[in-house]
Amino acid sequence: MTETELENLIGYRFPGGTRTIEHWENWLLTDCTGREQLPDHLVHPVALFHVPIQGVGTSIAELFALGQVEGAGSVGLDGYDWEYFQPLREDVEYRFDGGVIETERVTGTDKRTGAPAVYDRFVFSVELTTPDGQPAARITNHWRLRR
Amino acid sequence: MSIEPGTTIPPWEMPDVSPDRMKTMAAILRDPYPVHWDREAVDAIGFGPRVINQGPLNLSYITNMLMAWQGPTCVRRLRVSFGHPVLDHDHVTATGTVTSIETVDGERRAHCDVFLERDGAPVVTGTAVVALAEATPDDH
Repeated sequence: MTETELENLIGYRFPGGTRTIEHWENWLLTDCTGREQLPDHLVHPVALFHVPIQGVGTSIAELFALGQVEGAGSVGLDGYDWEYFQPLREDVEYRFDGGVIETERVTGTDKRTGAPAVYDRFVFSVELTTPDGQPAARITNHWRLRR
Repeated sequence: MSIEPGTTIPPWEMPDVSPDRMKTMAAILRDPYPVHWDREAVDAIGFGPRVINQGPLNLSYITNMLMAWQGPTCVRRLRVSFGHPVLDHDHVTATGTVTSIETVDGERRAHCDVFLERDGAPVVTGTAVVALAEATPDDH
């Protein structure tokens, strides 16, 4: 991917859409975290990783393709900024909208080897709203695409 | 006991990060990245033959700590950075400390530094904003 192609990703919009978090999915997700199930149909807060990606009409595989990376070691997580405006619950049809908001080519150093390394910052954001249009959550995820 | 800057959040431990949970998580996430389930793929990039825990699962241990402390609807914001990977069968501990308190729309919130640690060294660092379940000083 050229630096120009990378810059052109800024402003890319995902299709957008709606998604419901079903009980079985939340149950398995919560079990994976190692804690007991939550009461009152509450969704585990860590659902804000995959649910926005899927709800906005994309996937982890499509994000890798968008950033032109593949294979083990090609992607790292730099960080997340997740805001919860209200607790998420099962069986609510949330609306998802978002896109790529930042990219940047960086020449740095490989953490393990100390050798020079080139990677791209890839930042995308998704907003969740309730069926009546109230803000539910906002995520901003920072990925590192290694070149 | 009142919560104030300097208050330590009770830690939450994951004594044995499970590769089986990573497989289930990969299916839930629809994540094709092989480092979470293919030991050979991880070995080939220099981490040895242990699969790498998903970042969201590492973060989930921190959220579990926060929910155990202030209830299942307490989390208002999480901002985290990921450092070294967590591998299967690692023993990790979520920790945190209150740095400040504010009131927003009548809700008392704690701003916290949060960490996920392995062998006493952080592998995830960040901040959290948590709604406090305790009564405000004006409540009687």
